[in-house]
Amino acid sequence: MSDFDRRKFLKSAGAVAALGGLGVFGTGANRHAFAQTGAANELPRIIQKTIPSSGETIPAVGLGSWITFNVGNDIELRDQCADVMSAFFDAGGRMIDSSPMYGSAQDVIGYGLDKLGARDRVFSTDKVWTAGDGAEQIAETSDRWKVAEFDLLQVHNLLGINENLPLLFRMKDEGQLRYVGVTTSHGRRTEDLIAVMKNERLDFVQVTYNPIDRKVEDYLLPLAYDRGIAVIVNRPFRGGSLTERLEGQPLPEFASELEAKSWAQLILKYLIAYPAVTCPIPATTKPAHAAENMAAATGPLPDDKMREQIAAVIGVLV
Amino acid sequence: MTEWWDYGLADLLLFSPRVYYRLFETMNTTWGLVVASALIAGLIASGLALRHGFRGNRVILVLLALVWAWSGYGFLWQYYQPINWAVPYLLPAFGLQVVLFAIFAARPLPLRFGWRGDFSCYVGAALIAFAMIAYPFVGLMEGRELVQAELFGSAADPTALGTLGFVLLSRGTWRWVLLPVPLAWCMISAGTLWVMDQQIAYVMLVAVWVTVFCGWLDLKNGVTTKRLTEADIRDPAA
Repeated sequence: MSDFDRRKFLKSAGAVAALGGLGVFGTGANRHAFAQTGAANELPRIIQKTIPSSGETIPAVGLGSWITFNVGNDIELRDQCADVMSAFFDAGGRMIDSSPMYGSAQDVIGYGLDKLGARDRVFSTDKVWTAGDGAEQIAETSDRWKVAEFDLLQVHNLLGINENLPLLFRMKDEGQLRYVGVTTSHGRRTEDLIAVMKNERLDFVQVTYNPIDRKVEDYLLPLAYDRGIAVIVNRPFRGGSLTERLEGQPLPEFASELEAKSWAQLILKYLIAYPAVTCPIPATTKPAHAAENMAAATGPLPDDKMREQIAAVIGVLV
Repeated sequence: MTEWWDYGLADLLLFSPRVYYRLFETMNTTWGLVVASALIAGLIASGLALRHGFRGNRVILVLLALVWAWSGYGFLWQYYQPINWAVPYLLPAFGLQVVLFAIFAARPLPLRFGWRGDFSCYVGAALIAFAMIAYPFVGLMEGRELVQAELFGSAADPTALGTLGFVLLSRGTWRWVLLPVPLAWCMISAGTLWVMDQQIAYVMLVAVWVTVFCGWLDLKNGVTTKRLTEADIRDPAA
């Protein structure tokens, strides 16, 4: 793909309409084909997205742990985090993402998984973030989560990528890891990221994307789509500042067409609807918000025109 | 591609104000007696600093060594370290400050604390008063509960602020050695508080600036260039 024009890309993606388990991209709200989660009769029908490198599907909304899960040894706050995880799992969520950089977040996730007995429900996603001994850090991360193997490990912000990426590929080859990825945030190191995406067989890439920060639509997301790389979206609410600024503002009328009951859901639907996006990972300290975020992966999704409307409305309000 | 330069201050702060201030609540309720004792030690030291007693100089230095040791272990290591990966790198500085206080206390001629009546003394006394009396109530003004109060002797910020005041109230050619650690802490903490959108960050920065300014004034006025003699130490009127 030599020219990643966003509009052309969306049209072609809508025509293909296969990646991400999405059905039709027409006018107005999309009705999409569902791949239901496990015992789905009791759960709302959660939109599943496909990991291109394997064909495996995962729920279209995950759970981040940046800041929110770094609560130290405070048992009361750890229990609150476990409540968030419980609400997330109960609503059909699977992917939880963390990093060695996030203070005590890994320990808190391990605590929550223990408390909930949810190790078989989680799609475990973490990172390696060191220019030193990556294997040692991964072993420590594994101890903190109390999991033997991770589903996905990523090179955090491309740090030490020349050492850490070969390590992760080796782990994958040896069956100690299912997927390999790299991450950036805040639109940093784009050129480096593009080079890695072009030259390595990545399973996942993680980038910052939301209705305000849309630069990735120009090139990175189409490239990921073209290369068959699943995309995790960090900072969908700009670390909470986006939803805070929108708080109290009335939702646009078309939100009801999408069955979106909050700005958070509208933003997540905006992201999920993009064909290259696999899984936004909003973070929260409130169980109700975790459930609300998961509910964004149900019901109709916006088409291209409606996505532009969402971005325009939010752009005016913030 | 292993550069760290593209990390901003906000990227490195990975906890919320809610969790940060809960640390003080947990420490105050778990270690209430020790926290109160550390504050009382600070109040005793400040009382002594405004007098000229020969023995008081060593007592002040020992008390300051003790509160820095407690703040380093009690607050930084026990409570702050689990949420801030940078603490293990900062903790040795607290150890260094304890050792420096101990060395000054053990010297034949320790620093001399006392009221000189110059600008630096007023600033020093104001910093001590702010750190010990006003700082615990800053949280109340910002809507937090009193149980989350940051107290001198345990919480690192008021301890560093107050220490700047003690140093400004002292005389001695080597007193500047006691400034880098609390100054550096105030700078780091100002950055942390600024990222958390806490207005007290500006107070920390002003304290740093005014301490450096007073240090320069004292240098100019000979407060820190005149070598102390035993007579200076013993004579309350000197």
